[in-house]
Amino acid sequence: MSDTLVETPVPVEPARKRRNWAKIAGVAALLVVLVFFPVITGTEVAYLKAGQYVLIGVVGAVGLTLLVGQAGQLSLAHPFFLLVGAVSYAVLAGDAGESGDLVGLGLPPLVAMIGAVAICALVGLAFAPVSGRLRGIYLGVASLSLVFLGLYLGQSLDMLSGGTSSGRPPPTFEVFGFRFANTEPAPTIMGVAIQKQQRLWYLFLVIAIGSYLLARGAVRSRVGRAWRAVRDNEAAATAMGVRVWWSKAQAFTVSSAFAGMAGVLTALWLDLVKPDENEFIGTYSITVAIGYLAMVLIGGLGSIPGAVAGAVVVNGLPQLLTLGATEFGWFASAGAGGLSPVLVSAFVYGAAIVLVVLFEPGGLAAIGRRLTSRQGDRR
Amino acid sequence: MITRWGRAALVGASALLLAACGSTADTGSSGTSGAGGVKTDKGVTDSTITLGVMTDRTGVFKNLGDALTGGNELWVKDINAAGGICGRQLALEIVDHGYKADTAKTLYPQLEPKILGITQLVGSPVLAALKQNLVDDNVLTAPASWSSEVLNNPNVMMIGTTYDVEIIDGLSYFQQQGFIADGDTIGHIYIDGEYGGNGLRGSKYYAEKHNLTVQEAKITSTDNDLANIVTGLKGAGVKAIVLTTTPGQTASAMANNAALGLNVPVLGNNPTFDPALLSSPAAASLDRLYVAASSAPFSSKTPKAAEVAAEYKATYPGRPANAGVQAGYVESLVWQSVLQKACENGDLTRAGVQSALKSLTSVSTDDLVAPLDYSSPGAPPTRGVYIAKVDQAAEGGLTEVAPLFTAPDAADYKAPHQQP
Amino acid sequence: MNTFLQLVLNGLGKGAVYALLALGFVIIFKATEVVNFAHGSLVLIGGYFVYATKDALGWAGAAALGIVSAAVAALLIERLLITNARNADVNSLALLTIGVDVIVTEEIVRRLGADIPFVGDPYDALPLQFAGLTVFRTQLVALIVGIVLITAFFLAFRFSTWGVAMRAQAENKEAAALMGIRSSRVTATAWLLAGALAGVAVLFMATQDFSGAGLGRGTHAIALIAFPAAILGGLDSTVGAVVGGLIVGLTEALSAQYISFEFSKSAVFLVMLVILVIWPSGLFGTRELSRV
Repeated sequence: MSDTLVETPVPVEPARKRRNWAKIAGVAALLVVLVFFPVITGTEVAYLKAGQYVLIGVVGAVGLTLLVGQAGQLSLAHPFFLLVGAVSYAVLAGDAGESGDLVGLGLPPLVAMIGAVAICALVGLAFAPVSGRLRGIYLGVASLSLVFLGLYLGQSLDMLSGGTSSGRPPPTFEVFGFRFANTEPAPTIMGVAIQKQQRLWYLFLVIAIGSYLLARGAVRSRVGRAWRAVRDNEAAATAMGVRVWWSKAQAFTVSSAFAGMAGVLTALWLDLVKPDENEFIGTYSITVAIGYLAMVLIGGLGSIPGAVAGAVVVNGLPQLLTLGATEFGWFASAGAGGLSPVLVSAFVYGAAIVLVVLFEPGGLAAIGRRLTSRQGDRR
Repeated sequence: MITRWGRAALVGASALLLAACGSTADTGSSGTSGAGGVKTDKGVTDSTITLGVMTDRTGVFKNLGDALTGGNELWVKDINAAGGICGRQLALEIVDHGYKADTAKTLYPQLEPKILGITQLVGSPVLAALKQNLVDDNVLTAPASWSSEVLNNPNVMMIGTTYDVEIIDGLSYFQQQGFIADGDTIGHIYIDGEYGGNGLRGSKYYAEKHNLTVQEAKITSTDNDLANIVTGLKGAGVKAIVLTTTPGQTASAMANNAALGLNVPVLGNNPTFDPALLSSPAAASLDRLYVAASSAPFSSKTPKAAEVAAEYKATYPGRPANAGVQAGYVESLVWQSVLQKACENGDLTRAGVQSALKSLTSVSTDDLVAPLDYSSPGAPPTRGVYIAKVDQAAEGGLTEVAPLFTAPDAADYKAPHQQP
Repeated sequence: MNTFLQLVLNGLGKGAVYALLALGFVIIFKATEVVNFAHGSLVLIGGYFVYATKDALGWAGAAALGIVSAAVAALLIERLLITNARNADVNSLALLTIGVDVIVTEEIVRRLGADIPFVGDPYDALPLQFAGLTVFRTQLVALIVGIVLITAFFLAFRFSTWGVAMRAQAENKEAAALMGIRSSRVTATAWLLAGALAGVAVLFMATQDFSGAGLGRGTHAIALIAFPAAILGGLDSTVGAVVGGLIVGLTEALSAQYISFEFSKSAVFLVMLVILVIWPSGLFGTRELSRV
């Protein structure tokens, strides 16, 4: 939220080439690992599931860091847009005939996914009168009201959401006849059958990479510059010819669309769309709002790679610790009053937030930049 | 710059991927023959049968989860001491999801290959999130949730009766006692979700039959102050209140029932009451609470229930003591009948266990719950309940006021997924 | 009519406690411009010390210790964390308090284990009846204590040296420093007082009468409901905190009956949203001026 965090690519000539090669090698290695992740996990599908969960976090966090970091609008409304995205997908793709009282339009899943994202963008735009007028903490708390509203609407409109009792199953995703479900026979990669979970991994991976590139494009474009100008000084931005109101509304809309996509992925990941039972614990709860905020803070406000790192910490850690707990007997003494994986993760990310604000306002992204620019070319 | 190289890397990786691709079907195994000529697939070896437990030991239902798990573990101890089942020892694979559906969703694929079925699954959000997995993998599951809404899942094995039926039986008892009459108004406070919503279904059914007006109040599991609701119910002139709430919410409803001078009888079911309420500030106002439940309370005088309670207290001195202990034990007892039947049929595969369950028409559980009939899918396996009343003097805080019975209205009731 | 009056009574009693909590947010905000998201965890710390020492010290002693410990905890957050984050802006500091809140809340809830202790022994669950209406004793005591504390605070704010110094600092930090006002002392006192108010509030919150539940996650959640109270009144207005508290209490009680209970929490936030759209700095808040 302060100008120290702006990521502006400044050309630094001498060391640039060497660094680029290192970066390219790093990106390529990372991509290879990601592409072969289902092979690496093999039959241990649980780890693949955890990986998918991290990718959902990536999509959501990238959207939030645009809003909070680039445009300077504090929002706790992310879970609301996750819910809207998930429900919209189920409604648009759902089969009306099959499930009694539920509304379903029976659109092709790909169309439904795009439609769900569009609906979230529109809802985000509709919030513009509020998001455009309020600043800082006022906006943060105001946006929290959407989470409460989402809980209320989710519970009341059960012909859409399926209700809190049983929810509704999201239709299986499908692109041009290729179904993201188990089939017999299944294709294999190096002996590992590519079934539902492996397919979902690739779907999520493609969407996460797409989100990353889109967000980076936005940051480097005119739109991103306008966001930063408004964030740093509204009056000055106006003087420079930026339409402040529109720029703010734009940021909220874009961020909501990302959250909506994360919501669709959440539905596919859980095989379920179901509003929460209360506002504090659940898939679309205040805990999740704070989790997403933690991702972008830990990663470094406004930084796209930072948001990815934040998602790995906040969404990945509890999952990995939980899996380790049963596989290796960590936290064996957990019971009432003991340490649990969820508790330890909360401690870690709580402490990470505090440490980042105290010592490294640029977050993991700044640490990463410093490490990769060791060779003396600090920008 | 990175974009171009990133794209190159992606293309390269895809090429590798394609090169490594092939296509084989799964080895479609349908069970192999094991010791004693019994057919087996997952979770059963020649020496061990493993059942899964997906419980909550760190989340909001940790007290219930610990007690249920204790009940499961006691049964394993007892059955192994008696020589096991089908010449095999029993083992549990226990995981803790902390009442979080996302954690459970990740834990499930880790657990599933190791187990034959699930003897305890806590949490309706968790059950909802795993519904499709249980069907896909044909994992027979005893949920620690008694909603008739889940009976459309053929892999759910209900232990005891369901919330809706409990409320119908309870209201019949209230009418028989003269607390309510046809045409009255009653209040129903319920947690939105599987538990509360299913209870409300019972109230609505009974109200329709007896021309009652139901004042509904929907709450979430974290709303603990019900003063405003009880104020409204008093204004509406209710003759009785039905609760499908948490124990804390019950305390608030009871305290306000007394404080606001309403003082009507209140009907709840098993999850509404916890003996710990007797030491809360609301203790003095609890005596108008009646509990309708198909399973015996912790302090029950039923010999088997008392035996389990004593064994539990001796084995796990520090752990919470509540009705979850017997509920956990009885979950496993029903599994025992299923496994024995499947063993007789010579088929301990998941499919074999399924068909064994459907052939059971009267599972006896030493009166921990009424005899269970699993032959009609979608219907609760029993409709009988005990009625107990809060009593400070009684151990566990409940005294039985009506023995096991099934009200005629409950017998006629058609559960949501019951086959005609 | 009786139902309506009873609801108003319920709402005012709760509003008094919301006002105490909101006042805590406001005092800190006025002194430091930081919004303290960790207020809920200060409430838990106070309550936890009451619970842990009640048997040894008796209720009164434990209550006093609880108030002191919440105040000290607030002071520690200010001294150890806020003052050390020199290059962070006020919004980042607000986010820092979220981190603190997550850690403290999880730790207290872990320590409580299976217990959900009630901490309002002398007045809890002892309702009084007047002319067909019920007055919950906890709410009555809360209302009296609230009026006394808030009045005392207003007087101190207007007339004491600290009050003058704080107002001066809120008005213009540089000018106040030039006049010889020691900013760090004013700030520390503000956190200390806000913590103490949280410690007092919990004595009414974790009761059968007020929240229907003992100390736990739910208590922490109530502090979140007090957020709209502080915001809709205006974060830098003490009067706003009191009015905001009462508005939230009444909105909750009346919408529960006349709309629906499940809508009542959304109603609080919607009322806040409407007020904010009309007055972006709340009812009594100072309008932000932008400088170029």
